Amino acid sequence: MSELRIEQLAKRFGGLRVFQDLSFTLQPGGLMGVIGPNGAGKTTLINVISGRQPPSGGKVFLGGRDVTGQPTHAISRLGIARSFQQTNTFRSVSVRENIARAVLFGRRGRPAGLDRLLQEFHLTERLDEQSDKLPYGLQKMLGLAMAYAIGPKVLLLDEPAAGLERGERAQIDAFVHHVRTHGGCSVLIVEHDMDLIRRLCPRILVLDAGNVLADGAPADVLARPDVIKAYLGAVDDEEDA
Amino acid sequence: MHQFLEAAIIGVGLGAQYALLALGFTLIFGILGVVNFAHGGFYMLGGYVAYTCVAGLGLAYPLAVVVAMLATAALGWLFELLLIEPLIDDHLATLMLSLGLYLIISTVVLAIFGPISMEFAFPVTGSFHAGSVYLPRENLIVLAVCLVAIACLWLVLFRTDLGRALRALADDRAVGMAQGLRPRLLFPLAFALATGLAGLTGALVTPILSLAPGVGEPVLATSFLTVILGGLGSLGGAALAAFIVGLVEAYTSVYFGGSIGALVLFVMVLLLLVFRPTGLLGRDVRGA
Repeated sequence: MSELRIEQLAKRFGGLRVFQDLSFTLQPGGLMGVIGPNGAGKTTLINVISGRQPPSGGKVFLGGRDVTGQPTHAISRLGIARSFQQTNTFRSVSVRENIARAVLFGRRGRPAGLDRLLQEFHLTERLDEQSDKLPYGLQKMLGLAMAYAIGPKVLLLDEPAAGLERGERAQIDAFVHHVRTHGGCSVLIVEHDMDLIRRLCPRILVLDAGNVLADGAPADVLARPDVIKAYLGAVDDEEDA
Repeated sequence: MHQFLEAAIIGVGLGAQYALLALGFTLIFGILGVVNFAHGGFYMLGGYVAYTCVAGLGLAYPLAVVVAMLATAALGWLFELLLIEPLIDDHLATLMLSLGLYLIISTVVLAIFGPISMEFAFPVTGSFHAGSVYLPRENLIVLAVCLVAIACLWLVLFRTDLGRALRALADDRAVGMAQGLRPRLLFPLAFALATGLAGLTGALVTPILSLAPGVGEPVLATSFLTVILGGLGSLGGAALAAFIVGLVEAYTSVYFGGSIGALVLFVMVLLLLVFRPTGLLGRDVRGA
């Protein structure tokens, strides 16, 4: 288990500032939600931590080791795995091959409880099906299982509930519980589903216009007027519309 | 009937040659997303390296073929690592780079060997005959070597961890990288594998056909046509299409004369693209 520490992280695209002076620590085995309106920089934060995009400033430490700006494959090898907003499977091969590849490429052996996770997701009985022929919800679950199959210390989940039916979203809870219990993973979730965030996360970070607007327990943070105005209010407006 | 059988065997032989070229071409496109305009150049270079080994250094022809394959693989590896890799996401730049490399290879070959075809003969002559069917031994040897090479490539791609990694990058580069795959290590290897196959084909085939500075251009055109027919990026499609192209060329050549083969092929590909734009076994076309 390793601590993920972010220090004064910044990201700019030319003159556009996505976020700046972003600092937080995700304790070993910890769980944290990141919320914010569209364009707040949540996915970019995952991209920067996972090495997909270089930061414009600041540092990322994993277990005390500076991993800032390392390429994606190196970050992955060090123990940070991620999922993507869309499905992150190898579409042309079977479920079995998808899992086998993740285990092989992760180089850490088959993680504890992986087979049980596949059973919980009802993927065991569909191991020989081509992954892009699965229903969308199952493709998302397969993507999550693959992220866990590489044997990470830290999991970054980018909108895992996006596109799922309301009834399917409980599987995200099961997944997070499973990887923490069996794999000892720390989990950072970027998500718009506030029910899911409230249920799962003992701590949430609110991003707004590139800054940390709030950081703390959900009950405290989500009651703050500035958070409601910046984010929750906007969601309500959209839903009303 | 014997004419029909001879055409079939010649067609399969041509198909095996085209398959080696097309598999390399589609391997580079499928994994790196690069259209390698230098592919014909590596074929030509394979021929010239083998010729130099035999005529200049006195090596035995089989050894010369191995040297040609390794030399073109090494050049491909270096080219990818030093020039393609830094621009890997810029499709136009990599296309222009590969075109530039083809021009460089052609010019260097022209400067060293001149414009005249080399006298480079296959070391085995004579015909094999069964009943009324006659086949040149050289064609049968080339067919056998090509089939062995295709089988080896299949083993590498589908029975090794390296192959699994290469296919994973071809399926989805972002997911593969997120799982720990290193494109900077694997892309040059894929490129070397493909250019080595082109060099091998050149070393095998140019002694039978011809060895001159322009021989790479029709090879590029045929490779292109074959992978489009099979489906861009599809290995199975490239192999299938290569044998179709070989058989169509052989039969049209035997029954209608040499020039109609290309016309039939282009019409065939055109019709296929109208009704099935992804080719025979292609899934979808990679975006630019």
